[in-house]
Amino acid sequence: MRDLPYRWIEAIQDRRDYIEDQLRLGSPVVGLPYAQGSLLLTVTKGAQKIFEVHDRIALSAIGHPADIERLRMLVTDTASVQSFQSATEDVNLHRLTHYVLAHTFKQAFEAIVGEAYIIKMLLVEIGNGDAKTQFTHINYDGNVKVQHDSAVIGGTLEIENAMQEYLTATQTDAERDLNTALQLALNTWAVGKGLSKRFEDAEDNTEVTDEQIHEIIKTELEDGEIEVGILDTNLPADTKFRLLTQDEIQTALGPKNCP
Amino acid sequence: MNHKGDFLSLLKHADTSHGETKTTRNASDGKLNATLDTLHGTKNAMRDAFQIPTQAPTLEFTEATTVVAMRYNDGIIIAGDRRATAGTSVVHDRAEKVLPIDSHSVLAISGAPAMAYEIARVLKHSFQYFRRSQLQELSVEGKLRTLSRLIRDNLPMAMQGIGAVIPIFALYAPQTDESENGGKIYFYDALGAHFENVDFATTGSGSVWIRGVLRYLDRWGDTRLEQMDQRTATITILRLLDTASEYDAATSGYNAKAEIFPTVKTITQQGVETLPDKYLKDCYAEAT
Repeated sequence: MRDLPYRWIEAIQDRRDYIEDQLRLGSPVVGLPYAQGSLLLTVTKGAQKIFEVHDRIALSAIGHPADIERLRMLVTDTASVQSFQSATEDVNLHRLTHYVLAHTFKQAFEAIVGEAYIIKMLLVEIGNGDAKTQFTHINYDGNVKVQHDSAVIGGTLEIENAMQEYLTATQTDAERDLNTALQLALNTWAVGKGLSKRFEDAEDNTEVTDEQIHEIIKTELEDGEIEVGILDTNLPADTKFRLLTQDEIQTALGPKNCP
Repeated sequence: MNHKGDFLSLLKHADTSHGETKTTRNASDGKLNATLDTLHGTKNAMRDAFQIPTQAPTLEFTEATTVVAMRYNDGIIIAGDRRATAGTSVVHDRAEKVLPIDSHSVLAISGAPAMAYEIARVLKHSFQYFRRSQLQELSVEGKLRTLSRLIRDNLPMAMQGIGAVIPIFALYAPQTDESENGGKIYFYDALGAHFENVDFATTGSGSVWIRGVLRYLDRWGDTRLEQMDQRTATITILRLLDTASEYDAATSGYNAKAEIFPTVKTITQQGVETLPDKYLKDCYAEAT
């Protein structure tokens, strides 16, 4: 097929359409820094979606559960071996992204006779010392976007843009406390979730009001659960990652967001 | 891909001979025989360097140190002296022999430091890898077996008399009812068998001088070990190390001039905590 460029490009486009169609309804993920670290937030209906990769690196993704699991294991294995052979400080998100994940995504996507990964991944690394927090968004085709202030993944590019716009419009100081960051992340998630439902109903209005955000959160939490993973520099152990308990999330958000 | 959360198996499947890890989807098709077995690699290197015969005739273990663990009312207190020796020479006076492995477990080592530190390192990475890959903590039984396997793998070095590692492994079972003491102390032999010591354990060359004292205190002391509070337990354990150092040349006492204190850690429901030097200094003032 590679000897017929047009057919190859067509096949790639078909593959892109297929993957984007599969990802469209995925529950968005929001990554935000706060004074002592960074958090990843999503809402799930059972399966865990936020994972520890290494001492200072966490991961979340939307897509097919089997692909998420396979790639999560790939990056976890690589980080673990590198850390053992050298030192924990020598494991960094840049290497894991550019030398392990991105080319694996790209290779699978462009090998049109093989299986593609149905996935969008968001990784976060909190820096050592003065190093900045880094969010890395990896698309199913291997494209990488690095951000420092915040990051999101959603079912489509339009959803992600709308979530980023909401964040930019309402973003508080980066030195916000965990509770403020959690509330902002949940509201941003609701913007993405609301739009994903609208696009499914073929509506193209991208404005989501505060009342609608509140309503979306209320509805979605009837059969879903907020999941929050934090990388907190204040944790005494080498490992800075932990998942917040449901009690901690409810206390942080207050009664209005909890069904 | 490694589905069992077994870190040693992961290392063996990573081609480390060229410095770059190959844990991609094709790793299993590649150079599986170029495996990493850190312990065996170190063993072979040392055997070659010292021209040690493969069949060694002796089973004499050298464990020049004193480490001691005991249960107190909040969990476990575990301590070790700081001296490292080579024959009759003191080569280091700030050795760490009480090593945190994860948030709720500690390995206190006696024996050959190179092997002991490597075992502690592999153990730490094994527990972390299991948690990260399997999304749950390794069970207490799983942790004990992992350490057993590492000690058993080290048997050839132990048999040659240069690499024996006889540790104490202490942990706090985190799911324990808050009203119960979840602290557990395990003693290992050189073959990797583990035994739970209910109230205390001590190992190393100085241990012979204090084992009887521990038994006496636990049975007939004014306060049983398990009923002691942290301060009383700290004072007791410092006195025990001091006693060991009095009779064992390979165990250091408190060096007041250089302010070098033994390493003392507690393991409780809240996790592992290292007692600060200032606290130990206060306890010493009370202990002597």
